[in-house]
Amino acid sequence: MPPKFLKWLRVFIAAVVFAALTAAFVDFRGLVPWQIGHALAEIQFVPSLVALITGASLSLACIIIAVITLAAGRIYCSAICPLGIFQDVVIHLTKRPKSRPAPYTHPHTWLRQTFLWATVAAGVAGFGGFALSLLDPYSNFGRMASDIFRPLVTMVNNTIVSSVDKLGWHGLFRVEPHWASFGALHQPLILLGLLVVLVVLGGRLYCNTLCPVGTLLGWLSQRAAFRLQIDQGACRKCAACLRACKAQCIDLRAGAIDFSRCVACYNCMDVCDEHGINYRFAWAREKTIPAPASQTASDGVADPQRRAFLSKSILGIAGVTGFSRVLLAAERSPTGSFETPRNFSPVICPPGAVSVERFLDRCTACHLCISECPTGVLQPSFGEYGFIGIMKPRMDYRIAFCNYDCRHCGEVCPDGAIDLLDLAAKHLVKIGEAQFNRDKCVVVTNGTDCAACSEHCPTKAVSTIPYGENLRLPSVNNKLCIGCGACEYACPVKPDKAIKVIGLRQHGWAKKNIEPKATLPKSNGDFPF
Amino acid sequence: MKTRRDFLKAGLALGASLPVFANLEKLFAADVPATNSAAPAAPAGAKSVLVAVRDGGRAAMLDKAMSALGGMETFVKKGQTVLVKPNIGWDTPPERGADTHPELVKRVVEMCFAAGAKSVSMFDNPCDQWQRCYSHSGMEKVAQDTGATLVNGKDETLYREVEIPGGRKLHTAEVHSLVLDSDVFINVPVLKHHSGSVMTGCMKNLMGIIWDRGFYHRTDLHQCIADILTFKKPTLNILDAYAPMVRNGPRGVSVDDLVTMRTLLVSTDIVAIDAAGAKLLDHQPSDVRHIAIAAEMGLGTMDLEQVDIRRFKLA
Repeated sequence: MPPKFLKWLRVFIAAVVFAALTAAFVDFRGLVPWQIGHALAEIQFVPSLVALITGASLSLACIIIAVITLAAGRIYCSAICPLGIFQDVVIHLTKRPKSRPAPYTHPHTWLRQTFLWATVAAGVAGFGGFALSLLDPYSNFGRMASDIFRPLVTMVNNTIVSSVDKLGWHGLFRVEPHWASFGALHQPLILLGLLVVLVVLGGRLYCNTLCPVGTLLGWLSQRAAFRLQIDQGACRKCAACLRACKAQCIDLRAGAIDFSRCVACYNCMDVCDEHGINYRFAWAREKTIPAPASQTASDGVADPQRRAFLSKSILGIAGVTGFSRVLLAAERSPTGSFETPRNFSPVICPPGAVSVERFLDRCTACHLCISECPTGVLQPSFGEYGFIGIMKPRMDYRIAFCNYDCRHCGEVCPDGAIDLLDLAAKHLVKIGEAQFNRDKCVVVTNGTDCAACSEHCPTKAVSTIPYGENLRLPSVNNKLCIGCGACEYACPVKPDKAIKVIGLRQHGWAKKNIEPKATLPKSNGDFPF
Repeated sequence: MKTRRDFLKAGLALGASLPVFANLEKLFAADVPATNSAAPAAPAGAKSVLVAVRDGGRAAMLDKAMSALGGMETFVKKGQTVLVKPNIGWDTPPERGADTHPELVKRVVEMCFAAGAKSVSMFDNPCDQWQRCYSHSGMEKVAQDTGATLVNGKDETLYREVEIPGGRKLHTAEVHSLVLDSDVFINVPVLKHHSGSVMTGCMKNLMGIIWDRGFYHRTDLHQCIADILTFKKPTLNILDAYAPMVRNGPRGVSVDDLVTMRTLLVSTDIVAIDAAGAKLLDHQPSDVRHIAIAAEMGLGTMDLEQVDIRRFKLA
């Protein structure tokens, strides 16, 4: 295969994936069809692994990625992973021609292993969702794109809107930029800073030290059937490949490539005038040709033993990550009893999450649902779920309320944390309950009509009853309440609302509001005036 | 089921149909005092005229009512800019009756253009997410079909703060620039039950022209609804009572909340038309506090005995 073709194919796929996924995340007007974001999120390694392990869907992307990696290296890391591609963009932007030394560096093996096994251990301990939400590269990119880039793009849009207004042409409209709370913004901001520093220090250093997906795939890649190898006969040791390498994994002295760290960007193939770097079938050759010096120690040969170890490892990781789910499986049904006071939750998770526990277990906090939410009611949490729920989406009724007929969060969610309910179920799924405090209500304190809560209620769980002299006081029927937050959002009382929604740990079902067909007040067929 | 794709189309349509803003600044510079000057059907001192039509289609009843008032040309002059303000407050389909029916709105817009309107704009400051409201209520399609302009009602920079000269509780308000800058203001609400204000008709629909709806609710809903009229009254009010929502208003729970009444009211007197609307919903106008307050403040006629009612039955 022509070496240049491989690099440009990689660049093309990466550009398409990155552009489309970024568009889905920064889409502040709802212009990008949700299927695009969903499809590109679903083929990411961690969301797919989570969905598969938790049984949310038969998501095979993670297995396909593992197989591809075992065949030809970490193609995922350069072509599909948005955080990897983002680093390539930063590398491209910060590149100072020929001044970057980029020598071969030794792998930070203990650091890599630590992060991988810490993630696995967290899974065993039931904190898999927490660990993955911090370390999954796709979700980390999603948070940067959704929490930082999206409001920035919205502000650029608004600047453009106001300047074209002056020119007398109006093809756009203003959108309120939804910045996450200051606390929740910390994490993506720190990550963005860290990434830029690591990129400047050593290219794909993040992928080869901190990223558990990079380490896991690196382990497979090291044992790949086809690996990039240096043709010792052709190599003139010009070191062009060294300068082009983003992973600092080419050991020119030894004439070897550390394929566990190679992210399959093919830059080295592209720059080598001698065509000295090529894919070679490694499983067959290892018996006759000595393996590269740096790899022999840890490398085995492609024998049944290795495969057994490999499959055990994958199954092991799958097993431990699923462990906490098994513990919670008993209370997965949304029909569980929710009336008990113990079921109240200080934080409200979106309809389709089934329970706070299941949600925290499955969600990797990629914030695709936050980007997709048309009202902005979904906001990243900070301390609301407790430390292990940091950054995971929650319903914030100070900002907006859940649109009755919308289920976009369930449509886009790639890891099965939010089920896609059909609309009839969405209309009844109960994520919280309204609690009315009449002592704060305008009708009582001011002696004037209001009913903003009842006005907004889509199920009429909040209706009004006669009160005082020709007034109407809100009244809550919690059998009908789904906890959408419309009443709380609409309540005009400041600073503390007179009606608030208390979340449910285990979501339940509301009763359907069925009334007989209304009849005409006066039906004599004439005007009543 | 509307999808993102529809929003894309809608967004483009909105974008393509917004050049009217080019003219707003110019118009504002030569603004005329906001009065009912274009409403000759109700000269000072004479009785208010209320046209009530029954038993026809929405468009047919409007045609009949407008011809009784001398046609839309009486209100819309050649070259004028027109604001049509439907109720687009809820993300519900037309058959739910929570928003003004698009069939009626479409006919109103067509009449305005036929009368020579330079532009016709529409907006609302809705309760549900605005793009979904515009799309699912059918208003987007009306705009596409007629060439009317749908303007964002959730952009605070499009609102300007004004003094409310006769307001008792509402002294200033941020009002949408379309209300301030258009030559003609046609109010096209749907008649509904309302859990807080008893009913919503023409006066209550004007809550959608101000930015801070919460202020009304927090302060004195009925008084504020009346107060805004001391700043500006619509040139013409067209009340859709074809299938009013008689309970669970203003959003409604299902189509079962509606009754078929096949009625349309048109008047330049916003108090008289709401008084008639109250009667349609089986209320005494004086029991609806904002109607009583507005009448007491001299903003219109609540006593239907004093109104010149022209009744038509189409079947």
